[in-house]
Amino acid sequence: MFRTSLIAAALAATALTSTGALAQSATYALDPTHTFVTFEVPHFGVTTNRGRFDKKAGTVQLDKAGKTGKVEITIETGSINSGTEAFNKHLQSKDFFNSAEFPTAKFVGDKFVFNGDKVAEVSGTLTLLGKTNPVTLKATNFGCYQNPMLKVEVCGGDFETTIVRSQWGVNWGLNFGFSDNVRLVIQAEGVKQP
Amino acid sequence: MCQHAGVAAPPAPSSILALALLLAGQAGAQPVAYALDPSHSFTTFEVLHFDTATIRGRFGPLQGEVLLDRAARRGRVQLAIDTAAVSTGLPVLDARLRQDDMLASTAHPQAFFVAEDFSFGADGSVAAVTGEFTLRGAGRSLQLQALRFRCYTSPVLRREVCGGDFVATLPRSAFGITHSLPFVADTVRLLVQVEAIRQTP
Repeated sequence: MFRTSLIAAALAATALTSTGALAQSATYALDPTHTFVTFEVPHFGVTTNRGRFDKKAGTVQLDKAGKTGKVEITIETGSINSGTEAFNKHLQSKDFFNSAEFPTAKFVGDKFVFNGDKVAEVSGTLTLLGKTNPVTLKATNFGCYQNPMLKVEVCGGDFETTIVRSQWGVNWGLNFGFSDNVRLVIQAEGVKQP
Repeated sequence: MCQHAGVAAPPAPSSILALALLLAGQAGAQPVAYALDPSHSFTTFEVLHFDTATIRGRFGPLQGEVLLDRAARRGRVQLAIDTAAVSTGLPVLDARLRQDDMLASTAHPQAFFVAEDFSFGADGSVAAVTGEFTLRGAGRSLQLQALRFRCYTSPVLRREVCGGDFVATLPRSAFGITHSLPFVADTVRLLVQVEAIRQTP
């Protein structure tokens, strides 16, 4: 009896170890040519103003078997691009991002929710203007594919969230009725690193 | 809708005037002319990359005019888009998009949308606009559906502004843009932000 349970324990341990060995975390470098954050904010309840951050960098650790992950992305707030130079300047000013004093914003996500083998949600924190608040990104697309040009695996998706800008102290225009809610739509692709 | 391969020129201002006179000739109809506000008139395109993540790019500011007769539930819009002004955030991709097999910006510096088929909601707001979209000299029928539409008095301009967010989808292959199919999807979604400023008191 004792001997049998010992073998069982040994098998269980082996099984655990091999499961552990299978669950390998891979590192993906965010591809700056396929990674963009765009904000959407209502204009007088009539239309949607959009702006895109052109400079960003980051990495993702993804363990598809263990269903865990970590992402870090740094965004240069001064790289905001709305298509209207006057609006860009206003967004870079102290009324909004105060890019001179706070040149970067950072998202760190370490709680990954999977739906099957696809990432469904990433929760973490967004640091902007020196303030840090929780943010959850919901995936509307997710996939991994073998990139025929790079000959390596690329994983990526579309994510979105709505943040309340006053939580980071971005209060300009709230008293004129401009929206406190800002929708972020995020395209992200990461290239698997050797 | 008419389809033609030639370069479509935007209708001359005189045809707008003629339409305005025609609309004004109808009893009680009061067509109002609006000009697109360049700081709030853009088109963003969205196309899926390897079924994984969405590539976005922006065109604009859009240039154009709108005639709107909300009482008679009629309208007309004509707008032009400088194709070379495409902005994806990647200068290399922008340059690639301007080439002959994509936007063909040298041969076709502008894309056009001209529409006279307006449908209105019960509250008098514009619900959909159907017309002809001309890209790379190929004209195809395109319907823009309003996600929201409203007229308001701009506190900045002190004028009436009418505008909305519209969405449309088109198969890019219908305009002869087949590069990177199927890795980059054929279906392109257009998100159109348009605000137009009333030109007469």
